[in-house]
Amino acid sequence: MAPVGPRSGDAIFSSIDRVNAELFTLTYGAIVRQLLTDLEDVDEVNKQLDQMGYNIGIRLIDEFLAKSGVSRCVDFKETAEMIAKVGFKMFLGVTASVSSWDADGTCCSIILEDNPLVDFVELPDTCQGLYYCNVLSGVIRGALEMVSMKTEVTWTRDALRGDDAYELQVKLLKQVAEEYPYKDDE
Amino acid sequence: MIVCVSVVGHQNNPLYIQSFTDADDALKLHHVVHCSLDVIEERVNNPKTTLNEAFLGLLYPTLNYKVYGYLTNTKVKFILVTTDLDVRDTDVRNFFRKFHAAYVDAVSNPFHVPGKKITSRTFAQTVSNIVGSYGLN
Repeated sequence: MAPVGPRSGDAIFSSIDRVNAELFTLTYGAIVRQLLTDLEDVDEVNKQLDQMGYNIGIRLIDEFLAKSGVSRCVDFKETAEMIAKVGFKMFLGVTASVSSWDADGTCCSIILEDNPLVDFVELPDTCQGLYYCNVLSGVIRGALEMVSMKTEVTWTRDALRGDDAYELQVKLLKQVAEEYPYKDDE
Repeated sequence: MIVCVSVVGHQNNPLYIQSFTDADDALKLHHVVHCSLDVIEERVNNPKTTLNEAFLGLLYPTLNYKVYGYLTNTKVKFILVTTDLDVRDTDVRNFFRKFHAAYVDAVSNPFHVPGKKITSRTFAQTVSNIVGSYGLN
Protein backbone atom coordinates (compact mmCIF):
# COMPACT_ATOMS: atom_id res chain seq x y z
CA MET A 1 0.00 0.00 0.00
CA ALA A 2 1.38 3.35 -0.97
CA PRO A 3 1.48 5.94 1.80
CA VAL A 4 -1.20 8.53 1.34
CA GLY A 5 -0.27 12.12 1.97
CA PRO A 6 1.75 13.53 4.84
CA ARG A 7 0.55 12.62 8.30
CA SER A 8 0.96 14.58 11.48
CA GLY A 9 3.60 13.55 14.01
CA ASP A 10 0.97 12.66 16.60
CA ALA A 11 -0.87 10.35 14.25
CA ILE A 12 2.30 8.46 13.39
CA PHE A 13 3.45 8.38 16.98
CA SER A 14 0.21 6.76 18.10
CA SER A 15 0.32 4.13 15.40
CA ILE A 16 3.91 2.84 15.59
CA ASP A 17 5.37 0.40 18.07
CA ARG A 18 6.79 2.02 21.14
CA VAL A 19 9.06 1.02 23.96
CA ASN A 20 8.82 1.91 27.63
CA ALA A 21 10.39 5.33 28.16
CA GLU A 22 12.39 4.32 31.21
CA LEU A 23 13.83 1.29 29.50
CA PHE A 24 14.90 3.54 26.66
CA THR A 25 16.38 6.19 28.97
CA LEU A 26 18.27 3.66 31.06
CA THR A 27 19.58 1.86 28.00
CA TYR A 28 20.92 5.07 26.57
CA GLY A 29 22.41 5.94 29.96
CA ALA A 30 24.15 2.59 30.08
CA ILE A 31 25.60 3.11 26.60
CA VAL A 32 27.02 6.52 27.47
CA ARG A 33 28.36 5.21 30.74
CA GLN A 34 30.04 2.29 29.01
CA LEU A 35 31.56 4.54 26.37
CA LEU A 36 33.02 6.73 29.12
CA THR A 37 34.56 3.69 30.76
CA ASP A 38 35.93 2.30 27.50
CA LEU A 39 37.24 5.47 25.89
CA GLU A 40 38.22 7.32 29.09
CA ASP A 41 38.11 10.64 27.30
CA VAL A 42 35.10 12.91 27.12
CA ASP A 43 35.92 14.29 23.68
CA GLU A 44 36.31 10.78 22.29
CA VAL A 45 32.92 9.88 23.76
CA ASN A 46 31.34 12.92 22.12
CA LYS A 47 32.82 11.84 18.81
CA GLN A 48 31.71 8.25 19.24
CA LEU A 49 28.16 9.25 20.16
CA ASP A 50 28.00 11.47 17.10
CA GLN A 51 29.23 8.63 14.92
CA MET A 52 26.65 6.27 16.42
CA GLY A 53 23.96 8.84 15.79
CA TYR A 54 25.13 9.22 12.20
CA ASN A 55 24.86 5.48 11.68
CA ILE A 56 21.38 5.51 13.13
CA GLY A 57 20.38 8.54 11.06
CA ILE A 58 21.34 7.11 7.70
CA ARG A 59 19.03 4.17 8.37
CA LEU A 60 16.31 6.02 10.21
CA ILE A 61 15.61 8.40 7.35
CA ASP A 62 14.18 5.57 5.30
CA GLU A 63 11.81 4.58 8.03
CA PHE A 64 10.86 8.21 8.47
CA LEU A 65 10.08 8.68 4.80
CA ALA A 66 8.19 5.41 4.55
CA LYS A 67 5.99 5.92 7.58
CA SER A 68 5.39 9.64 7.48
CA GLY A 69 4.50 9.83 3.81
CA VAL A 70 5.91 13.34 3.55
CA SER A 71 6.76 14.60 0.13
CA ARG A 72 9.86 16.46 -0.97
CA CYS A 73 10.56 19.60 1.03
CA VAL A 74 10.83 22.73 -1.05
CA ASP A 75 13.51 24.40 1.01
CA PHE A 76 15.65 23.97 4.08
CA LYS A 77 13.10 25.80 6.21
CA GLU A 78 10.49 23.22 5.49
CA THR A 79 13.01 20.48 6.20
CA ALA A 80 13.78 21.91 9.61
CA GLU A 81 10.10 22.22 10.45
CA MET A 82 9.57 18.64 9.33
CA ILE A 83 12.35 17.37 11.61
CA ALA A 84 11.07 19.33 14.57
CA LYS A 85 7.35 18.69 14.20
CA VAL A 86 7.21 15.22 12.66
CA GLY A 87 10.61 13.60 13.18
CA PHE A 88 11.04 14.30 16.88
CA LYS A 89 7.41 13.49 17.57
CA MET A 90 7.60 10.24 15.69
CA PHE A 91 10.74 8.86 17.28
CA LEU A 92 11.01 10.56 20.66
CA GLY A 93 7.43 11.56 21.37
CA VAL A 94 8.31 15.20 21.92
CA THR A 95 7.84 18.25 19.74
CA ALA A 96 10.60 20.70 19.08
CA SER A 97 10.41 24.25 17.85
CA VAL A 98 12.49 25.92 15.19
CA SER A 99 13.82 29.44 15.58
CA SER A 100 16.77 31.78 15.11
CA TRP A 101 16.91 31.66 11.34
CA ASP A 102 19.74 33.56 9.77
CA ALA A 103 19.22 35.88 6.82
CA ASP A 104 19.80 33.42 3.99
CA GLY A 105 17.86 30.58 5.59
CA THR A 106 20.68 28.08 5.93
CA CYS A 107 21.14 28.07 9.68
CA CYS A 108 18.57 27.58 12.39
CA SER A 109 18.06 26.31 15.90
CA ILE A 110 15.93 23.38 16.93
CA ILE A 111 14.83 23.78 20.51
CA LEU A 112 13.75 20.88 22.67
CA GLU A 113 11.91 21.77 25.85
CA ASP A 114 11.55 18.20 26.90
CA ASN A 115 14.10 15.50 26.26
CA PRO A 116 13.37 11.89 27.22
CA LEU A 117 17.04 10.92 26.98
CA VAL A 118 18.01 12.87 30.06
CA ASP A 119 15.46 11.79 32.67
CA PHE A 120 17.34 11.06 35.93
CA VAL A 121 20.63 12.22 34.48
CA GLU A 122 22.93 14.55 36.34
CA LEU A 123 26.39 15.13 34.91
CA PRO A 124 29.16 14.54 37.43
CA ASP A 125 31.92 17.14 37.75
CA THR A 126 34.36 14.89 35.93
CA CYS A 127 32.29 14.86 32.71
CA GLN A 128 31.48 18.53 32.29
CA GLY A 129 32.66 18.54 28.66
CA LEU A 130 30.30 15.74 27.70
CA TYR A 131 27.46 16.37 25.29
CA TYR A 132 25.22 13.73 26.74
CA CYS A 133 22.70 13.79 23.89
CA ASN A 134 25.29 14.00 21.13
CA VAL A 135 23.65 11.03 19.48
CA LEU A 136 20.76 13.28 18.42
CA SER A 137 22.98 15.66 16.50
CA GLY A 138 24.49 12.69 14.72
CA VAL A 139 21.07 11.34 13.80
CA ILE A 140 20.03 14.62 12.19
CA ARG A 141 23.33 14.94 10.34
CA GLY A 142 23.13 11.37 9.07
CA ALA A 143 19.49 11.59 8.05
CA LEU A 144 19.93 14.85 6.16
CA GLU A 145 23.00 13.56 4.41
CA MET A 146 20.95 10.73 2.94
CA VAL A 147 18.59 13.26 1.43
CA SER A 148 21.52 15.10 -0.11
CA MET A 149 22.02 17.85 2.42
CA LYS A 150 25.40 18.26 4.04
CA THR A 151 24.85 19.77 7.43
CA GLU A 152 26.72 20.60 10.56
CA VAL A 153 24.84 20.06 13.80
CA THR A 154 26.10 21.44 17.09
CA TRP A 155 24.70 21.87 20.57
CA THR A 156 24.32 25.47 21.63
CA ARG A 157 22.33 24.95 24.81
CA ASP A 158 22.21 21.93 27.06
CA ALA A 159 20.04 21.79 30.18
CA LEU A 160 22.44 19.30 31.75
CA ARG A 161 25.03 22.06 31.77
CA GLY A 162 22.71 24.52 33.41
CA ASP A 163 20.92 26.08 30.42
CA ASP A 164 17.15 26.26 30.33
CA ALA A 165 16.53 24.08 27.28
CA TYR A 166 18.19 21.92 24.66
CA GLU A 167 19.11 23.75 21.53
CA LEU A 168 20.64 22.23 18.42
CA GLN A 169 22.08 24.47 15.79
CA VAL A 170 21.64 23.03 12.33
CA LYS A 171 23.71 24.61 9.61
CA LEU A 172 23.27 23.71 5.98
CA LEU A 173 26.70 23.51 4.42
CA LYS A 174 25.74 22.56 0.92
CA GLN A 175 23.03 20.88 -0.99
CA VAL A 176 24.56 18.04 -2.93
CA ALA A 177 23.03 17.57 -6.31
CA GLU A 178 21.89 14.04 -6.91
CA GLU A 179 24.60 12.17 -8.65
CA TYR A 180 24.23 9.09 -10.68
CA PRO A 181 27.16 6.76 -10.76
CA TYR A 182 26.74 5.85 -14.44
CA LYS A 183 25.96 7.84 -17.47
CA ASP A 184 23.20 6.64 -19.72
CA ASP A 185 25.45 5.68 -22.58
CA GLU A 186 27.92 3.67 -20.56
CA MET B 1 10.42 18.19 63.01
CA ILE B 2 12.63 15.83 61.07
CA VAL B 3 16.21 16.14 62.26
CA CYS B 4 17.93 13.47 60.21
CA VAL B 5 17.34 11.16 57.24
CA SER B 6 19.63 8.47 55.99
CA VAL B 7 19.99 5.83 53.31
CA VAL B 8 21.96 2.74 54.26
CA GLY B 9 23.04 0.09 51.76
CA HIS B 10 22.50 -3.63 52.03
CA GLN B 11 25.84 -4.21 53.68
CA ASN B 12 25.05 -1.50 56.20
CA ASN B 13 27.27 0.94 54.34
CA PRO B 14 26.05 4.54 54.52
CA LEU B 15 24.89 5.86 51.15
CA TYR B 16 23.47 9.16 52.22
CA ILE B 17 23.06 10.87 55.55
CA GLN B 18 21.79 14.34 56.09
CA SER B 19 20.82 16.13 59.27
CA PHE B 20 18.51 19.12 59.38
CA THR B 21 19.39 20.89 62.60
CA ASP B 22 21.18 24.11 63.31
CA ALA B 23 22.75 22.72 66.44
CA ASP B 24 26.05 20.92 66.12
CA ASP B 25 24.72 17.47 66.87
CA ALA B 26 25.28 15.70 63.57
CA LEU B 27 27.55 13.16 65.23
CA LYS B 28 24.91 12.32 67.80
CA LEU B 29 22.32 11.82 65.07
CA HIS B 30 24.68 9.62 63.10
CA HIS B 31 25.08 7.57 66.23
CA VAL B 32 21.31 7.24 66.58
CA VAL B 33 21.07 6.08 62.96
CA HIS B 34 23.90 3.64 63.49
CA CYS B 35 22.20 2.12 66.52
CA SER B 36 18.93 1.74 64.68
CA LEU B 37 20.60 -0.58 62.17
CA ASP B 38 20.82 -3.24 64.86
CA VAL B 39 17.14 -2.87 65.56
CA ILE B 40 16.36 -3.34 61.87
CA GLU B 41 18.58 -6.42 61.77
CA GLU B 42 16.72 -7.81 64.73
CA ARG B 43 13.34 -7.25 63.16
CA VAL B 44 14.32 -8.73 59.85
CA ASN B 45 15.92 -11.83 61.33
CA ASN B 46 13.19 -12.46 63.86
CA PRO B 47 11.75 -15.83 62.86
CA LYS B 48 8.46 -15.23 64.69
CA THR B 49 7.32 -12.30 62.62
CA THR B 50 7.31 -12.06 58.88
CA LEU B 51 7.65 -8.73 57.17
CA ASN B 52 5.09 -8.15 54.51
CA GLU B 53 5.63 -4.49 53.90
CA ALA B 54 8.57 -2.18 53.48
CA PHE B 55 7.59 0.16 56.29
CA LEU B 56 9.11 -1.04 59.55
CA GLY B 57 7.39 1.39 61.88
CA LEU B 58 8.88 2.88 65.01
CA LEU B 59 12.27 1.32 65.59
CA TYR B 60 12.95 2.71 69.00
CA PRO B 61 12.08 5.78 70.99
CA THR B 62 14.88 7.57 72.80
CA LEU B 63 14.51 10.42 75.21
CA ASN B 64 14.57 13.08 72.52
CA TYR B 65 14.07 11.26 69.26
CA LYS B 66 11.84 8.81 67.53
CA VAL B 67 13.42 6.64 64.90
CA TYR B 68 11.46 5.14 62.00
CA GLY B 69 12.72 2.67 59.46
CA TYR B 70 11.86 1.44 55.97
CA LEU B 71 13.42 -1.50 54.21
CA THR B 72 13.26 -1.87 50.45
CA ASN B 73 13.24 -5.21 48.68
CA THR B 74 16.86 -4.70 47.74
CA LYS B 75 17.77 -4.44 51.44
CA VAL B 76 18.41 -0.74 51.32
CA LYS B 77 17.31 0.92 54.53
CA PHE B 78 15.85 4.36 54.93
CA ILE B 79 15.98 5.83 58.40
CA LEU B 80 14.13 8.85 59.69
CA VAL B 81 14.88 10.58 62.99
CA THR B 82 12.33 13.03 64.29
CA THR B 83 11.89 15.10 67.43
CA ASP B 84 8.09 15.09 67.27
CA LEU B 85 6.48 13.25 70.11
CA ASP B 86 3.10 12.61 68.57
CA VAL B 87 3.74 11.36 65.09
CA ARG B 88 0.99 10.24 62.79
CA ASP B 89 1.71 6.95 61.12
CA THR B 90 0.30 8.10 57.80
CA ASP B 91 2.68 11.08 57.72
CA VAL B 92 5.66 8.82 58.12
CA ARG B 93 4.38 6.37 55.52
CA ASN B 94 3.82 9.22 53.14
CA PHE B 95 7.28 10.54 53.79
CA PHE B 96 8.90 7.19 53.08
CA ARG B 97 6.87 6.71 49.92
CA LYS B 98 8.12 10.01 48.52
CA PHE B 99 11.61 9.35 49.78
CA HIS B 100 11.66 5.98 48.08
CA ALA B 101 10.60 7.58 44.80
CA ALA B 102 13.38 10.15 45.12
CA TYR B 103 15.87 7.37 45.83
CA VAL B 104 14.77 5.42 42.77
CA ASP B 105 15.27 8.48 40.57
CA ALA B 106 18.71 9.06 42.07
CA VAL B 107 19.94 5.53 41.44
CA SER B 108 18.54 5.65 37.90
CA ASN B 109 21.13 8.27 37.06
CA PRO B 110 23.57 6.44 34.80
CA PHE B 111 26.46 8.17 36.54
CA HIS B 112 25.53 6.77 39.90
CA VAL B 113 27.50 3.68 40.87
CA PRO B 114 25.32 1.22 42.80
CA GLY B 115 26.57 0.71 46.33
CA LYS B 116 28.45 3.99 46.37
CA LYS B 117 27.45 7.19 48.10
CA ILE B 118 24.70 9.24 46.52
CA THR B 119 26.29 12.51 45.52
CA SER B 120 23.46 13.85 43.37
CA ARG B 121 22.54 17.46 44.07
CA THR B 122 19.05 16.90 42.70
CA PHE B 123 18.53 14.14 45.22
CA ALA B 124 19.69 16.35 48.08
CA GLN B 125 17.34 19.07 46.90
CA THR B 126 14.38 16.72 46.56
CA VAL B 127 15.03 15.26 49.99
CA SER B 128 15.11 18.65 51.66
CA ASN B 129 11.86 19.52 49.87
CA ILE B 130 10.23 16.34 51.15
CA VAL B 131 11.52 17.03 54.65
CA GLY B 132 10.21 20.59 54.42
CA SER B 133 6.74 19.45 53.39
CA TYR B 134 6.57 16.71 55.99
CA GLY B 135 3.52 16.77 58.19
CA LEU B 136 1.87 19.61 56.29
CA ASN B 137 -0.84 17.54 54.67
